[in-house]
Amino acid sequence: MQLLRDILDKQVVDREQVKIGKVDSIVAELRPGKPPRVIAIELGSIALARRLGPAPGRWTARLAARLSGKRQAHPHRIAWNKVRDIGVDIEFDIDVRRTRIFAWQEWLREHVVGRIPGA
Amino acid sequence: MKKLLEISLGVVTSVGGFLEVGSMATAAQAGALFGFQLIWAVVLGTICIIFLVEMAGRFAAVSHHTIADGIRERFGFNAFIWPLLATLLVNFLVLSAEIGGVAIAAELATGISFQWWALPAAFLAWLLLWKGTFGLIEKGVSTLGLVTLCFVVAAVMLRPEWKEVAVGTVPSLPHHDTAKYWFMAVSILGASISPYLFMFYSSGAIEDQWDKSYLGTNRAIAGLGMSFGGTISVGVLIVAALVLGAHGITEVDDYNQLPLMLIPIFGFWGFVLFVASLAIACFGAALELALQQAYLVAQGFGWTWGEDLKPRDDPGFSLVYTLTLFLAAVPIALGLDPLKLTIFSMALTAASLPLTVVPFLFLLNDDRYVGEHRNGLVSNAAVIFVIALGFVLAVVTIPLQIFGGT
Repeated sequence: MQLLRDILDKQVVDREQVKIGKVDSIVAELRPGKPPRVIAIELGSIALARRLGPAPGRWTARLAARLSGKRQAHPHRIAWNKVRDIGVDIEFDIDVRRTRIFAWQEWLREHVVGRIPGA
Repeated sequence: MKKLLEISLGVVTSVGGFLEVGSMATAAQAGALFGFQLIWAVVLGTICIIFLVEMAGRFAAVSHHTIADGIRERFGFNAFIWPLLATLLVNFLVLSAEIGGVAIAAELATGISFQWWALPAAFLAWLLLWKGTFGLIEKGVSTLGLVTLCFVVAAVMLRPEWKEVAVGTVPSLPHHDTAKYWFMAVSILGASISPYLFMFYSSGAIEDQWDKSYLGTNRAIAGLGMSFGGTISVGVLIVAALVLGAHGITEVDDYNQLPLMLIPIFGFWGFVLFVASLAIACFGAALELALQQAYLVAQGFGWTWGEDLKPRDDPGFSLVYTLTLFLAAVPIALGLDPLKLTIFSMALTAASLPLTVVPFLFLLNDDRYVGEHRNGLVSNAAVIFVIALGFVLAVVTIPLQIFGGT
């Protein structure tokens, strides 16, 4: 398996097969004298903006912190040991409703989309 | 039997998706000014889109990825962002033009200026997306699109010199208005080879849960559906050449001239048929374009998507099509000439082609996605041809726009 080819930018789903995002970045741990080890994946706008460059990453983090508080100033992380299956999608053994990943979608549902009749 | 039904539905759908304000306007302009001489551009564009649509469907059926998913996964986000932005922009302009087309049809029918119809048209489209399912939109609206077949009937009833029509399928050099000729050719190609068509098609294949057993169906739908669509465009061109040209109208720069096309053949009903064709074709295309914007964003960022879900279950996805539709109606509501916008956005579509078509060459030859169903020699030759054509179009579009645009 090659990390960049087979993991990065793949669709991520939770254990209920809900699409929660793409693998926007991979977090690896450097260990002295041993090969690096993947410990988590990151997803969300901050992780994505960092790939475009350090400056867009900083701006996005600052914007996210201003819009939704300090808790959202870092990308969402999912520990690699939660991975369950790597196929068309990568499935993690988590429940997205128990994370902050969909906070913005929930905000939209409550404040915008849900208020329009017929939603 | 089930397959046959599936194929005919698919053909109907793609006919509905193929003919929109761009193909109607460019074919009518080309016919009026150059007679049958530009039929080759419609034929060439149709052959290219057949190949691309077949590949998009095959890719989705075998790999269970849409084209947008595939581009992001295979090339990474930093490469994906360019086709993403280009397609979002081009789709937005084309969507605006389609809303303009519906608005013009409404103006022709009621006499109330098109500007007033832009927002109601967008609202109606939004309502269908908000409440409807993918099946309803795909099958319902495109079945109505069959009314555009009236152009083919009209073309046959006009008894054109079929020999001259055949001569028109071979590219030839213009005798007058050289810059305009090539600009028209570029616009026709842009109207036929629309990225939204094949990207939408791959999303549709995932929505309809296609797998490898659909490969034959896919080939039939791509081939027959796009050919029928191309035939209707040729019909528009022939009618424009014989009717508008004969009445001394060579410059179609005002949409009020367009309904004249069918009146000599069908009388008052010709007017009704024209208005209905324009309204339905543009409305159908507007639905597909708005959905495609939402598909593209949702697939690009990995959000939950699906037209069959309720808006509250995919708020990000539904918000994208909602915003897109209403923003796209704004330029028309402010009075931007829909015909000018149409021709401009068709040329821009052509110029954006390399960004969306180059990935096909890699995705459709990658064992990890399509395995044994990867491209053969002919399909690869076709992709390379479209890419080359796309690069030429990208380079010549802007100068031609300046010298040959209307």
